[in-house]
Amino acid sequence: MAFEEEVVIKTDGLTKIFEKGKKRQVIALNRVDLEIRRGEVFGLLGTNGAGKTTLIRVLVGLLTPTEGSAYVLGKDVTEGIDYIRDRVSLLPQEAGIYDRLTARENLIYYGGFYGIPEDELNKRADHLLEIVGLKDKEHYQVKGFSGGMKRKVLVARALVIEPEIIFLDEPTTGVDTLGARVVRNLLKKLSSEQRRTIILTTHDLNEVSELCDRVGILNDGKLIATGKPSQLEEKFRAANLEEVFTGLVTGEGVYGGSTP
Amino acid sequence: MKRPKLDAKTLWMIRKEVREVFRSRWLILGFIISPMFAWMFQGAFLSFIVGQTSEEPERVYITIEDNGTLGRQLYEEIYANRSILLIDPLVNITLEEGQQLVADKTISVWILIPENFTQELNTTAHSTLQIVVNTASFRATAAASRIDAFTKLVINIVVREVQVDWYTISPEANYGHQLAIFLVMLTSVIAPAPYISKSFAGEREAKTLEALLVVPMSRVKILGSKLVAGLALTAIYSVFTAVGILTYNLSIILRVGNLAPELQQANINLYTVNAYTIPLIMFCQFLLLLCAIGIGVVISCLAKDRATAESVNSMVMLVPTFVIGILGFTGSILQYGGVLQWIILAIPFSHAVLFLNAVLAGTGTLMGLSINIGYMIGFTVVFLFIGAKLFEREAIIS
Repeated sequence: MAFEEEVVIKTDGLTKIFEKGKKRQVIALNRVDLEIRRGEVFGLLGTNGAGKTTLIRVLVGLLTPTEGSAYVLGKDVTEGIDYIRDRVSLLPQEAGIYDRLTARENLIYYGGFYGIPEDELNKRADHLLEIVGLKDKEHYQVKGFSGGMKRKVLVARALVIEPEIIFLDEPTTGVDTLGARVVRNLLKKLSSEQRRTIILTTHDLNEVSELCDRVGILNDGKLIATGKPSQLEEKFRAANLEEVFTGLVTGEGVYGGSTP
Repeated sequence: MKRPKLDAKTLWMIRKEVREVFRSRWLILGFIISPMFAWMFQGAFLSFIVGQTSEEPERVYITIEDNGTLGRQLYEEIYANRSILLIDPLVNITLEEGQQLVADKTISVWILIPENFTQELNTTAHSTLQIVVNTASFRATAAASRIDAFTKLVINIVVREVQVDWYTISPEANYGHQLAIFLVMLTSVIAPAPYISKSFAGEREAKTLEALLVVPMSRVKILGSKLVAGLALTAIYSVFTAVGILTYNLSIILRVGNLAPELQQANINLYTVNAYTIPLIMFCQFLLLLCAIGIGVVISCLAKDRATAESVNSMVMLVPTFVIGILGFTGSILQYGGVLQWIILAIPFSHAVLFLNAVLAGTGTLMGLSINIGYMIGFTVVFLFIGAKLFEREAIIS
């Protein structure tokens, strides 16, 4: 396929259907067409069950598309998943952390899968733990940490492999205000200085406005709008992104039309 | 499915899995305590039995139907050696009285010296002495065993070259080994459940599986790494099984120390586990653990959470184990014919029992033992294959 150099994620008619028994089907993704460029911070918005997590899971190869195609870093997710996984990182929606390992060990363990030398891993772990404010607790087992602290460890873990693309499923959920600010600043820096691509899902629309270059709004598995936050506000004649989102999802109070 | 290779990433994961396992203090403690407790409990229990069978006298009934000299002589020898044989009292009864006691099920031990006992021995060098024993009583069984041995001794001294024909003895391993077989089987099938449930269903429940499955490593290797950590745990288990067996043996040896020398050796032979057989027991235990891990992986991949996995695992493991265990204590598990026998043979743990019993009793054949080992290995491979397939499903993360 002819692949534009700057586009690192591309989906065409991506559909994912879950069979629930013999008679019932759930269409989690419905013909999603999406392009995300290198260095972008892309926000995926949607209510619970809209398909955000499913989309991320398809892009990292945890789920296979039912129809359509998905390309990450130029590779089809159904064929080139080993290549993709070497270059992407995932922070899952729910706390997925090894409680019996220390904060540092969680980072080192994860990084070990990517063939990074241990010396280098230790340096990166030092740096990231410092940034997320957990350096003084690096040797504590994570089981004693608060939900927010665990989330910070997970963010650091997702970044320790220095991936080209980072998938963050609600990265600041449960993190205190100051901690969330630290995480956001870190993500901005990664995007602007290192040209890393970040795809994040969140329910915090202020976070989206602050962080994201572009957003995509999913509703019932369909991608109903994509664009820069300011463009969407203008297009739908809304005062802010929250109005755009509410209007599109509920079908009320949006004046600029429906899907782009 | 591609054959996985042992590469740096796999070793990395094994290291983490093992490290995590060794930090689970309660898990480790369970793997140390379980075999030790099982064997120490048995040591205490058998000390009680030794007391019952080697120190406390038993009421023995005797009937002499024989009018010859050998029947009379045997009776007199038993009477004269009552204290050594731990018989008190020795009660003379008629055949009818004996039959009535048997019918009433109130008899402990009844020796029947049959009519023509002497004549048969003198003419054919062959006769049968009947002992009726209440096998529910350890003391009665032990008394019968002593009389059994004593009678052979008396008859062989009095009539040289004479053969006394006794009812056949089942070709089963001795009590100590039967116990080893049962305990090894019971504890081995239960032991891996906590680790396996935690490692698969537990990871899914803790939501760590999703991030793990995104790392650049095949799922087969992830599965294999977890199994290696499981084997590390089973190694601990095996070591402490051996320690437990030796502790058990020691407790029996200490317990029989104050008995008469001939009783000491008889009890040691009956109740202890021959130390030379421990490697064999450990080998069989290893196969059993593998089987249990294979089944556990399948259950754990299907279960929604850790609690469900552990519950189903316990049920699946314990029911056949108890059935086989109980059948094993009543004699050979192959004494039942028909469908029941095929059901028993389908259970992999039965093959561990058959294997150990045959080897420890010295009745095994190469073909039979190979079938036992082959079945257990084959069963494990099939279940691990199914487990690997289940682990590769999309639904594993949901």
